Amino acid sequence: MPDSPIIQIRDLTKVYKGAEEPAIKGLSLDIFRHEIFGLLGPNGAGKTTTISILCGLFKPTMGHVTIDGLDIHADIKEIKQIIGVVPQDIALYPTLTARENLTFFGNMYGLHGKPLREKINHFLSEFGLEKHSGKLIAKYSGGMKRRVNLIAGLLHDPKVIFLDEPTVGIDVQSRVEILNYLKKINQEGTTIIYTSHYMEEAENLCTRVAIIDQGSIISLGNPKGLVAEHPEFKNLESIFIHLTGKEMRDWT
Amino acid sequence: MRKYFAALRKEWLLLIRDKAGLALLFIMPLVLIVISSLMQEFGWSSVTKDPMIPILFVDNDMDSLGINIKKGFISSQSFDVIEKINNIPVTEATAKAAVARGDYLIAIVVPKGTTKTIRSNVRVMVAKTLAGFGMFDPALLDNIKLKDTVNVTVYFDPTVKRAFKNALISSIKANNYKVETEMIFRSFNQELSIQMPAYQPPNVSYHEVLQFREEYPSFRKRELIPNTVQHNVPAWTIFAMFFIVIPFTQSLIREREEGSLFRLGTMPVPYMNLVMAKVGMYLFVCLLQTVFMLLGGMLLLPVFGLPMLDLGSDFIALVLMTLMVAMAAVGYGLMVGTISKTHQQAAAFGSISVIILSAMGGLWVPIYLMPPFMKTVSQLSPMNWAISGYYNIFLRGGSIVNILPEVFRLFIFFLMTILVSSIYRKIKSPFNA
Repeated sequence: MPDSPIIQIRDLTKVYKGAEEPAIKGLSLDIFRHEIFGLLGPNGAGKTTTISILCGLFKPTMGHVTIDGLDIHADIKEIKQIIGVVPQDIALYPTLTARENLTFFGNMYGLHGKPLREKINHFLSEFGLEKHSGKLIAKYSGGMKRRVNLIAGLLHDPKVIFLDEPTVGIDVQSRVEILNYLKKINQEGTTIIYTSHYMEEAENLCTRVAIIDQGSIISLGNPKGLVAEHPEFKNLESIFIHLTGKEMRDWT
Repeated sequence: MRKYFAALRKEWLLLIRDKAGLALLFIMPLVLIVISSLMQEFGWSSVTKDPMIPILFVDNDMDSLGINIKKGFISSQSFDVIEKINNIPVTEATAKAAVARGDYLIAIVVPKGTTKTIRSNVRVMVAKTLAGFGMFDPALLDNIKLKDTVNVTVYFDPTVKRAFKNALISSIKANNYKVETEMIFRSFNQELSIQMPAYQPPNVSYHEVLQFREEYPSFRKRELIPNTVQHNVPAWTIFAMFFIVIPFTQSLIREREEGSLFRLGTMPVPYMNLVMAKVGMYLFVCLLQTVFMLLGGMLLLPVFGLPMLDLGSDFIALVLMTLMVAMAAVGYGLMVGTISKTHQQAAAFGSISVIILSAMGGLWVPIYLMPPFMKTVSQLSPMNWAISGYYNIFLRGGSIVNILPEVFRLFIFFLMTILVSSIYRKIKSPFNA
């Protein structure tokens, strides 16, 4: 088991205005330093709500969360300085170049001048984008956009990074590149919280996963351990289907 | 502060790469100013220096009335009296046909014998009056009847406005009264000379005692001549400033929909910082628009033969007024953008509401032409306050003191829009698309 918990969630509940059912029901969870933690679940299970609360976008209805010892209510500004978020959508300005986007987001983390320029150059080079750094994002391919989307969340060397389906809809090469980089920064000490619908990817990447459905954790553990616990299923995807059911979840 | 300037820089880059948006903000209003000024020069400037309105004139009378009506039109310097088309004298039939075709707006036909009829009737009236002094035998006069009235026919194109028709007919009537008065005066003298040989007619000619003097009172000594340019430049500048509601709301909503705002919500930067950067940038755009439009009014419009814009005499008042209008416009954009959920909603509501507020505020039609109810309603439009303020500066030569009521209203409007946006944002998380 890795080090001490970097994220502690206790009895977290979120009820949206007008909703009959809570989106999250008394969720409690510890995420440890240097983990790659997978948050898995069907659409509408509560993954995005959980991540949004951890990032300070929504306030919980009830419950308590700390990140690196900082309280989500009292120390949200400090928390935002140590976390990085890579949204599922390409959250970039299409009419700005990659460099302009990264400079702006770097500035928002308080980075400026030469250190920021060096950081941007390093990441662009790392992801094979330095030749295209002056092109508008609108002219980038899907894979290139995903890579810039990822860089924007890493510029300030966050202790914890939240990735919401970072590899959706991209080519295999870009996917491999992104996953390899995530493994690399994890080995260097970054804690990663990751959501995905690709079970095989989660099984290979994550040190632990939580399967959540209808706002509650229904299974938690090491992917290999979970498979071992359910010998009747050959992989994580089969376990996931078994636990969450076969019916479609088109609502969010 | 560094984050604010970084956000400001980002807004600048987004703005200068939106070519269609820039055209909407700068080119469209300038084109509107030129077109509107050229179109309205005919109607609006009737209070000052008129262009010559062509008028077909058929004088079948060839006597005092016809001559005086023609003389009256010429001396007014408002009408170009045309008696020949292609060197062929105009007849009643050709004049009527020309107006029917829309070639001319007005044709006037003075029928043959009009003056003769008037003169004859005047003589009868004078004789009947003098009969009271025993100069004529009333029994003889009883058999003399007044002749029937004669009609001066005026053919109007259907597009000619009622007010203009009335003014034209009044002008003809005024000439008729003048002719009749002179005839009565002359007729009295003539009859008195016949009846009383000792009577020496005075060597005087009738002249109008009542004269009219036109002035345009203003706050400054130098006289300002109102014209279409003095109205159109501020009017369309205000319209353009408020039209930033479109790019401003699009920018707000695009950021929400594309997920950038979601990302920014996870960063250590206050939402207000980001919004204020947008407000700052669009305020700058509004000020830039004003400079562009005013320069257009001063340099471009004279190229089209229009008068040059007169900026008034108080530059600080102009800057203050522009700043307040810009703040009101940006505040309105922020409010619409905050409340609207989609691009379509913002574009439809934003553009239609600006058009309504501008029409209501007197940007398109002067307030004095509106019915009483609309005059009251127009007071509710911030664009009305804006145009009133600019009128005070451009047309009345006002200073800061004279625009304070408008400045105060616009500032309150700005505060209200910020308040509504803030309350709405508190109720609904801005990061929730």
